[in-house]
Amino acid sequence: MLKKRFVAVVTIKNSHAVQSFGYNKYLPLGKPDVIVKNLDRWGVDEIILQCIDRTSSNLGPDFEVLNKISKIGISTPIIYGGGIRNAVDAAKVVSKGADRILLDALLYSPKNEIEIIADKLGVQAIMANIPIRQDGEDYLALNYQTKIESQFNKFISNIPLHWISEVLITDWCNEGKKESFNIKLLEISDLIEKPLIFFGGISSILTINKILNNFKTVGFGIGNFLNYHENAVQKLKLNISNQVIRPQYFHNKEY
Amino acid sequence: MKRRKICIVDYGVGNHSSVAQMINKLGHSSRITKDPIEIKSSDLLILPGVGAFPLAMNNIIQDGTDKILLDEAKKGKKIIGICLGMQLLADQSYEFKKTNGLGMIPGVVRPMSFIDWHIGWNRVDFNGQKTKLKLQDDNSVYFNHSYVFETSPDHILAESVVYGRTFTSAVKKDNICGLQFHPEKSQYIGMKIFQHLIEELNNA
Repeated sequence: MLKKRFVAVVTIKNSHAVQSFGYNKYLPLGKPDVIVKNLDRWGVDEIILQCIDRTSSNLGPDFEVLNKISKIGISTPIIYGGGIRNAVDAAKVVSKGADRILLDALLYSPKNEIEIIADKLGVQAIMANIPIRQDGEDYLALNYQTKIESQFNKFISNIPLHWISEVLITDWCNEGKKESFNIKLLEISDLIEKPLIFFGGISSILTINKILNNFKTVGFGIGNFLNYHENAVQKLKLNISNQVIRPQYFHNKEY
Repeated sequence: MKRRKICIVDYGVGNHSSVAQMINKLGHSSRITKDPIEIKSSDLLILPGVGAFPLAMNNIIQDGTDKILLDEAKKGKKIIGICLGMQLLADQSYEFKKTNGLGMIPGVVRPMSFIDWHIGWNRVDFNGQKTKLKLQDDNSVYFNHSYVFETSPDHILAESVVYGRTFTSAVKKDNICGLQFHPEKSQYIGMKIFQHLIEELNNA
């Protein structure tokens, strides 16, 4: 059976890992490669590297961070997002150690760029990140670069979903805040025909189980809360009653 | 365990460094290269791959790497294809358009008809008559693909199931083997599978 995934989200600003709170406050955590090494050792199912300052500064992807991570030999799938401008950047990100890419700013650019990336890497390698919030009965998608919000329905009708395999739905208002994920956001599942990973303010087993019970959910993401305890991934996995997730394991060096 | 010299064939597509790191961690030596001399002097070749079939085959043919690989395969060189690298071993693929593959293991690569993509951790069940590899209960490995290798039962080394449908997740013919999943991204279990296959191919 295909398992649902526990995805660790590492937010990177200025090539340093940070704790992120609601997309507007950041606290330093340390070296991204050290954090990724721990997550790999703890057996998380996937790791998203989210470099949040690369697009606004037009710096391109953070290859330095990818190189460092690549050198330590990570055996967990890596999804990289941040600063990807075109198919050349995307292919280079994969050659530097990422297995898949996460797009956000590029969703607003000419549609055929994503198609070109898909021709090169395959659609299964492409994910989209959509930060959203609830507004009464509506859901608004946030353009992280311009800070302009648009109705979720209208937004997804304007992006080339055909070339995207999965969507990360980020509860950006509650991101980084303990047990604050807006469970109403699961209703997004009715509005988009894509497998979804939910992220932002998820920290309790109760919330994780509710998310995993959603039929379109393929995973959930946790960021800040994995940095407060040793073996945080295994401890959470041990307590997830839902059998659809890969069980915890503790590192064993004998192959 | 004998230390093997393993070449990761560089055809310009994919994440080679993860495969190299896995090989090094297992105690073997790795080299990412398309140099014919290096390829010929290795104990085992790896065809890695993330990307689309036509572009990968085009790169392999343009470099002349296809001829070297076919020559080495005929001489009995052990070859393991990973993900796209496994699919390149087939006769043909229908990804985007009909494209000829290396034809090392009879079969055709077609889109998964029952699901758009197969992404994530899923069980892999090896055929006990074709390998001595024994896995524990948790035998999940990481997949990331949308096409599958269709071949005869003679060449099926392992199968997996998604949404009730069985598909081929590993193939083998003589000295050639292919894995649809990514052992280099499957943590402990991936390393165990890979190490076993290296030994089994070399001891055959």
